[in-house]
Amino acid sequence: MASKKLRRAGVSQELCELLNRHHVESCKDLLSLTPLEVMRVAGLSYQNALALMRSVSQHCAPPVTTLLELWKPKSESFFSTSLPALDDFLRGGLPLGTITEVAGPSGCGKTQMCVMLSVLATLPRSLGGLDAGVVYIDTESAFSAERLVEMAQARFPEHFSSRERVLQMASRVHVFRELTCQDVLNRLDRLEVDIISTKAGLVILDSVASVVRKEFDTTLPGNLASRSNLLTQEASTLKYLAHQFNIPVVLTNQITTYLGNGGGGVPGEGDSGYVIAALGNTWSHTVNTRLIVQYVDARQRQIVIAKSPVAPYAVLNYTIQKEGICLDGDNQEPMGEARDPGLQPIRVRTEFKYSLSQAVGTDGGS
Amino acid sequence: MKPVSASPLSPSVKVKLLNAGFLTSEELLQLKPLQLSKEGGLSLEEALEVQQILREGVDLPGEGGAGLGSTALELLQQEERSIVTFCSSLDAALGGGVPVGKTTELCGTPGMGKTQLCLQLCIDVQIPECFGGLGGEAVFVDTEGSLVVQRVADMAQAAVQHCCLQDQDAEQRDALKDFTTESLLGHLYLMRCHDYVELLAQVQLLPDFLVKNPKVRLLVIDSLAFPFRRHFEDLSVRTRLLSGLAQQLIRMACQHRVAVVWTNQMTSQLRGGQWELVPALGESWGHSATQRLLLHWSGGRRLASVFKSPSQSESSVAYSVTREGFRDAGPLASSPSGREQDSSRQSESKQDSSSQSGSKRPRTQEGQ
Repeated sequence: MASKKLRRAGVSQELCELLNRHHVESCKDLLSLTPLEVMRVAGLSYQNALALMRSVSQHCAPPVTTLLELWKPKSESFFSTSLPALDDFLRGGLPLGTITEVAGPSGCGKTQMCVMLSVLATLPRSLGGLDAGVVYIDTESAFSAERLVEMAQARFPEHFSSRERVLQMASRVHVFRELTCQDVLNRLDRLEVDIISTKAGLVILDSVASVVRKEFDTTLPGNLASRSNLLTQEASTLKYLAHQFNIPVVLTNQITTYLGNGGGGVPGEGDSGYVIAALGNTWSHTVNTRLIVQYVDARQRQIVIAKSPVAPYAVLNYTIQKEGICLDGDNQEPMGEARDPGLQPIRVRTEFKYSLSQAVGTDGGS
Repeated sequence: MKPVSASPLSPSVKVKLLNAGFLTSEELLQLKPLQLSKEGGLSLEEALEVQQILREGVDLPGEGGAGLGSTALELLQQEERSIVTFCSSLDAALGGGVPVGKTTELCGTPGMGKTQLCLQLCIDVQIPECFGGLGGEAVFVDTEGSLVVQRVADMAQAAVQHCCLQDQDAEQRDALKDFTTESLLGHLYLMRCHDYVELLAQVQLLPDFLVKNPKVRLLVIDSLAFPFRRHFEDLSVRTRLLSGLAQQLIRMACQHRVAVVWTNQMTSQLRGGQWELVPALGESWGHSATQRLLLHWSGGRRLASVFKSPSQSESSVAYSVTREGFRDAGPLASSPSGREQDSSRQSESKQDSSSQSGSKRPRTQEGQ
């Protein structure tokens, strides 16, 4: 790996000491030099300098495989979402080893989706689950254990008929509440340990946008770059862990207003803009799959597959029920057209039906 | 008449030789090792090594084959094939396809289909020669993690079926026996790099890999931008690393006869008070690729624009990404379960509608 010390990369002791005097200590330092610089710093001829770089590269470079070796059956490459139409578009479900983002306005169902996926991850493989633990990093304090249990019992009544099963499922979901950027970064640093100790098969970060937007004011100079930096760092860590452990990572994102022809979601006054996913254009590149949840009207909502390495642009209708997300029927015509997933317009809630006589029932979104 | 100071010797040896008054390599080669070691103040082994290095002479890059250039006529006759993209209008705009021996950059906003095009090329490079392909292998360096094997398997299967539907002669039928989804996946090498150091290390080792696997005709890096879009304390270091990388890639393309394709991202830049999307990695990076393609949305359709090319004029063509892979945009008589990325929008297209039917038209009849 990059920060590997040169001594462990097979470089001789005297050469290491010589290089250390020039502040070249790790593989990263050596490979960032040009061959001429290596000649000068290590006192070697050109050929030997090249040979040194090649041998150090061999210790850093990833292994080479062919795709045939990586081709596995669907159950081992995808995490089924238990929504058949969505799984169909995604050719099996959320791809393992990648980052999936769920973006949308508040109250549309992002946290509900996360809770539902947590339940699914703990299910045994015979029911389509991953039979593993869940690491749930909650930055908005939106996670509700009661909702988790209610959803589990409503969605899989036979399986969760006994109390022990419910308790066992709940004990496999590990919730970490992190409320600042630094806390989130620290948690991500320790995530490898957490994944191993909880035997996690799914990592959820709900939400990635809230802490970042609280602490970075992008109208101040330099903040946009540091914010991008932080996000890229988070994304690299998550991608690395997703790949190494071959698990899916699910993030939630918020929305922002987009004005005019530009990028980066810089809000301003004036023009009517439209609503897009937050965190900007660089972030849209970083996530592998982007699912957008949006409103059709007060009750009916939609999932839009805005970016996916396997699925085309598609729109699915759903509602939120006791058992979580429920897809509606066969109405799957794309409404509206496919666009740049960073600039995909999102429909927000425009009215708020308020009825005194109606008790808080199955309309709860979160 | 090469000066000693410019020779590829180690610095300490050079200093000793210069102090002893040697100015050119010819002078060094005229002496025998014993005399050289006495006059130059070197040990015997060092003197021997010096003469060996100087005699081997030109392993320096940029000096390879000194004086052995080719005439334009020879270059014309060399006739390197291009790798088709299965989108006939794009192939026409590129002059046949993605050229072997040159570097091509794909820029575009997320979700445009850059990875899809790269995967399509990885498959198309393996099409047997009797079908018009190169019969080669492909190397895919993945820095983003967007490669889902199932997707590649689907595209491979579609390509195999496409070839099977052609009229075949005996040679083609023979070639088809080895042209299966499994073989396509088996000849696609994958390297997953998590940061820029791993990427640099991998690119250092690639020339050796290409020598060991001479059938590789395509190298894809997806994406080149992602590992470099992190914080660099010193931006000039990033620029230097990137230009070093570009040099190595260009050299690999020429010397090993591979097509090098990499993808770039877009970044927002404040220009004249407006935020615009431009290719990432900076202005100077734009010079690195021989050819640049921009994939973008326009009026609800996906367009590929050739915006830098030494041999083709700037043009834009429409394309689509389907279940089978990267294809022409077209009026869609899609099979009932086939799904197109564009909802069928059929305004006039700007492409030069090539009348190529037959082998390049990728309408497969697979049901679901």
